[in-house]
Amino acid sequence: MRLKLRDDGHPFQYLQTRLEATSSRRDGEPSQFQARLVKFFLVLILLIVPGALSFLLSAEESSQASNTTPMGDWVARQVDARDTGRDAVIAMRMRLFDRQGRQRERTLEMQSLRGTAAAADGIGDRVLLRFSYPNDIRGTGLLVLERPGRDDDRYLYLPALGRVRRIAGAERQESFAGSDLSYEEIGGRALEDYTYELLDAKATWTAPDGRTHAAYRLRSIAKDASLTYPAAVSTVRADNFVVVQAEVFDRRGTRAKQYQVRRLEQISGVWTVMEAVMSHEVDRTRTELVVTTARYNTGLSPEAFSRRALEQPAR
Amino acid sequence: MSRPPSGLSGAADRFTAWLWHWRRLLAILSVLGACSLAPLADIRTLDNDISAWFHQDDPVFQDYERLKKEFPGSRTLIVAIDSADAFAPAMLEALRTISAEIEQVDAVRRVQSLATANVVRLGPVDDGESEGDLLVEPLVPRNGPIDAATVRRTALGDRMLAGDLVSTSGRVLAVVVSFDEARIDAIRSAVLDDIRARVSRHLPAGATAHYNGSLEISETYNRVTLRNQVLFTPPILLIVIGALWVMFRSVRLTVLTVFAVLVSTLWTVGLYMWAGYGFNILTSMLPPLVLVLAIADDVHIIQHYTQCRREGADHEGAWKHTVRHLITPLFAASGTTALGLLSLATSPVDAVRTFGMGAALGVMVDFVISIVLMPTLLAFVPVAATPPPQARWLLGPMRAIGRLSTAQPARVVLVAALLLLVVGSGLLRLRVDTNHVAFFKDGHPVHDSAELMDRELAGIYSFQVMLEGPPESLRSPDAIRRIDALGQQLGQLGHVKKVIGLSDYVARVHEPLAPADVRAGKRLPTDGDLISQELFVFGLSEDGRRELESVVSTDYSRTQIMVKLASMSSDEAFTEVEEAERLSRAMFAGTGITPTVTGAGRLFATLDHYLVTSQVWSFGTAFVSVFGVIFLVFRSFRFGVLAIVPNLVPVLVVLGAMGWLDISMNVATVMVASIALGVVDDDTIHFISRYRREARNGRTTDQAIAIATEEEGRASLTTAIINTLAFSVLLLSDYRPSGWFGGLLALTMAVAFLAEVFLLPAMIKLLPRWFAAEHLRHA
Repeated sequence: MRLKLRDDGHPFQYLQTRLEATSSRRDGEPSQFQARLVKFFLVLILLIVPGALSFLLSAEESSQASNTTPMGDWVARQVDARDTGRDAVIAMRMRLFDRQGRQRERTLEMQSLRGTAAAADGIGDRVLLRFSYPNDIRGTGLLVLERPGRDDDRYLYLPALGRVRRIAGAERQESFAGSDLSYEEIGGRALEDYTYELLDAKATWTAPDGRTHAAYRLRSIAKDASLTYPAAVSTVRADNFVVVQAEVFDRRGTRAKQYQVRRLEQISGVWTVMEAVMSHEVDRTRTELVVTTARYNTGLSPEAFSRRALEQPAR
Repeated sequence: MSRPPSGLSGAADRFTAWLWHWRRLLAILSVLGACSLAPLADIRTLDNDISAWFHQDDPVFQDYERLKKEFPGSRTLIVAIDSADAFAPAMLEALRTISAEIEQVDAVRRVQSLATANVVRLGPVDDGESEGDLLVEPLVPRNGPIDAATVRRTALGDRMLAGDLVSTSGRVLAVVVSFDEARIDAIRSAVLDDIRARVSRHLPAGATAHYNGSLEISETYNRVTLRNQVLFTPPILLIVIGALWVMFRSVRLTVLTVFAVLVSTLWTVGLYMWAGYGFNILTSMLPPLVLVLAIADDVHIIQHYTQCRREGADHEGAWKHTVRHLITPLFAASGTTALGLLSLATSPVDAVRTFGMGAALGVMVDFVISIVLMPTLLAFVPVAATPPPQARWLLGPMRAIGRLSTAQPARVVLVAALLLLVVGSGLLRLRVDTNHVAFFKDGHPVHDSAELMDRELAGIYSFQVMLEGPPESLRSPDAIRRIDALGQQLGQLGHVKKVIGLSDYVARVHEPLAPADVRAGKRLPTDGDLISQELFVFGLSEDGRRELESVVSTDYSRTQIMVKLASMSSDEAFTEVEEAERLSRAMFAGTGITPTVTGAGRLFATLDHYLVTSQVWSFGTAFVSVFGVIFLVFRSFRFGVLAIVPNLVPVLVVLGAMGWLDISMNVATVMVASIALGVVDDDTIHFISRYRREARNGRTTDQAIAIATEEEGRASLTTAIINTLAFSVLLLSDYRPSGWFGGLLALTMAVAFLAEVFLLPAMIKLLPRWFAAEHLRHA
């Protein structure tokens, strides 16, 4: 079969002619069936192309949307990785308000040593709390050794007993020293225990001094849904990745707690929350946290976080 | 029947003429008022919590409120799960799921069960450096496999769990649910339904769930109240309609009477709600009471009006004659009924007080509406020339009664006195007792669940000893020791099943921290700092902090000792409470710490004493005010005294019957005597008014008695039949006090009628120098 070309320049006619030529069994005139078939395909193409384009565009949008998950992870990683010093010695005062508005005060010193991911002893971050006020609990100490992938080790020292005991079975979402904050909220959560979703990449946060900062709004959902507070929506300052505001939700999805940073300062190059408040909306209690002094990179060694160190009298 | 008057005179006449002039406007306003108040008359908004019975200023109630404010969550729902083996792995698995599910329910604050309980114990020694780990761990792991044998051993060995969250027999598990006090009352019904649905979804085969606790009882009261309204209003209405139809044989008269009664009821309930009062199991009886009482006024009006028309008066004449002659007795009757009911306003029990005020308001509103609306509506009813045959049915018996009473007055009085003596002697057996669980019949879920919880768990009742002192005072070693000693003394009381106080929490931490002390017999530390540090340790965890805050204030100025009891009658509860108060005072004398026995159990026990006071005071007030009005109406001391006798008889009979039938004086029945006094005097007033009028019109004593018995006695009999039947319907209630209330009022109506038609004529005949017609004419 030879292809018979027509040169009238009309593209469709040209195409039609080509198709007719290829599908014809005879030289010369195309069949009526072939002509109809070509028309059908042309119409089909006219219908399909805009649909396909629309699909491709929407797929691109969806691909952009799906970028929010890695973006949420990225923000969470930045929060986790922000510089908090190799070690820190922070003196703080806690004011605990009960549902009647009565206030109790506790002062304590928190020593912490940042752990490495692949530490030989399997210990992550180390935290030692020592209470100095009120007087009847003066010297009471708590040592927390983070064990990635399992429950933390906690040791308790009661000066009235003069003995150290290991407390087993405590959870990271437990109350931090009887306050409305949890250990997790003080020391940061284990990154891998949550999934993250960036709710707003262009959020803002207005500090108590009235200045507005660019921020991210990040939703964290615990992989273990049985936790007391399996979800939180945090506002993270975009410039320093400090969580400056958070809403913590209970298993019912009810907002149970609200966290607000009132004062943020850079000390020795480390952004430090100097004043914060956590309100428990269900229990109607509140904890105010005021950092009185903060020192970083003081050269604390792992030995400062031993049971023996815990037993040492309060300074 | 006296003839229509030829002319009107005096203030009453001028008032009647004024009413006649404005009758249409007043009638329209009555109906429009009822329509506008109808949206307010929503009787579905109920509050049956025990606190609803107390006035806000009551010191006992204020103590309770102080406790609730300091330690919220004292009102609970208890779910008891009964199975062959509470520690079977499937059962524990189900308990874990059920507890987790309940935690998801709106307004739930805390779920206590073996699946949420933490245990503190000492782990094995792991090295030479320490004495072993302090294990703070869930008794039942939150996830994963459950070691049922360990759970059984630990739970049954823990004195705070055994007998409270699991029965010592190992059969029954308890889930105790506390709620957000600020929200639960508004959404209680939906929340409890949700919990039931979740529990039944996960209940293993062979296990049954039973519900009780203060919130469940309150909710059951709400449901019973609503069900009573739905269940009993139609038959009461049907009885009323049927009786009216039988009496009048006229659809129009029946419809108009029901319409007038409905207008009165809407006014009453609407005004009651508008005034800010609410409904509970007691005040829900207000609409049927007003409905039934309103009929009496209307029946008197209809009978008088139709009689006038049959005797030849036109509508205006009959209207004026009816109003002119009935306004005083109806006002007096309504006024005395209202006073009888208003006497309940002296009660310290809030529900009784609001019931009294609401019912008094209703009776007076009904009087105002009836006196204008009913005769005005009667213009739309054609009156047959002859009375319907059934009017004659009652005439014969009434004549016979009249004849008997006048012919043999001494015998009638003697028989009445003997009967009164026999029945009234039941008064000596009358007892005061409110037992909320016993109020429900056997087989009712509240009754049966209470029985199970009383038998297997720590019971459904509780009271608290609240200790108040200066800040930090309650964690001193001396205070802790006294709390512990008081707890042990309270545990010895007869009905007490469990006592939990601050010392138990200290001991719970101290035992594993200082096992050597425990071995040496020192359950509690003696060093103040150690107590502080141990309590501090307890509050380090989220659960521990919450648990501690449920028993002691954060500044250690207040603490509560929770005393759990089996359900019992209120007088027994009162004895326990009084004893607890005595022990507490003795234990903390001179320490600067003030004990107060409070809680739902205290409220409940106090109700009993309030009821007695309430009964004496309200009956006394009713007696003085009712007969004060009667003296004023008749302006005669003698007739005032005459009115007292047939009115006291029903009251004595009812109280005596209560004694014989072993019906206690309780929240519902306490009102019967005062209501009876207010209600039954209506017929007496009508009877005496009629007798005096007929006597003054020249009739002899026998003739005046015969007319009064036939005419007023017939109306009284009609209303007595209607009211007795209508109140008897309440006997069908599965809530016993409603049944008792209805039955006793029905008895009151019947006895009041008999006392009126037998005793009044007999006494008039027996004392001719005081009451004879001739004597009255001369006077």
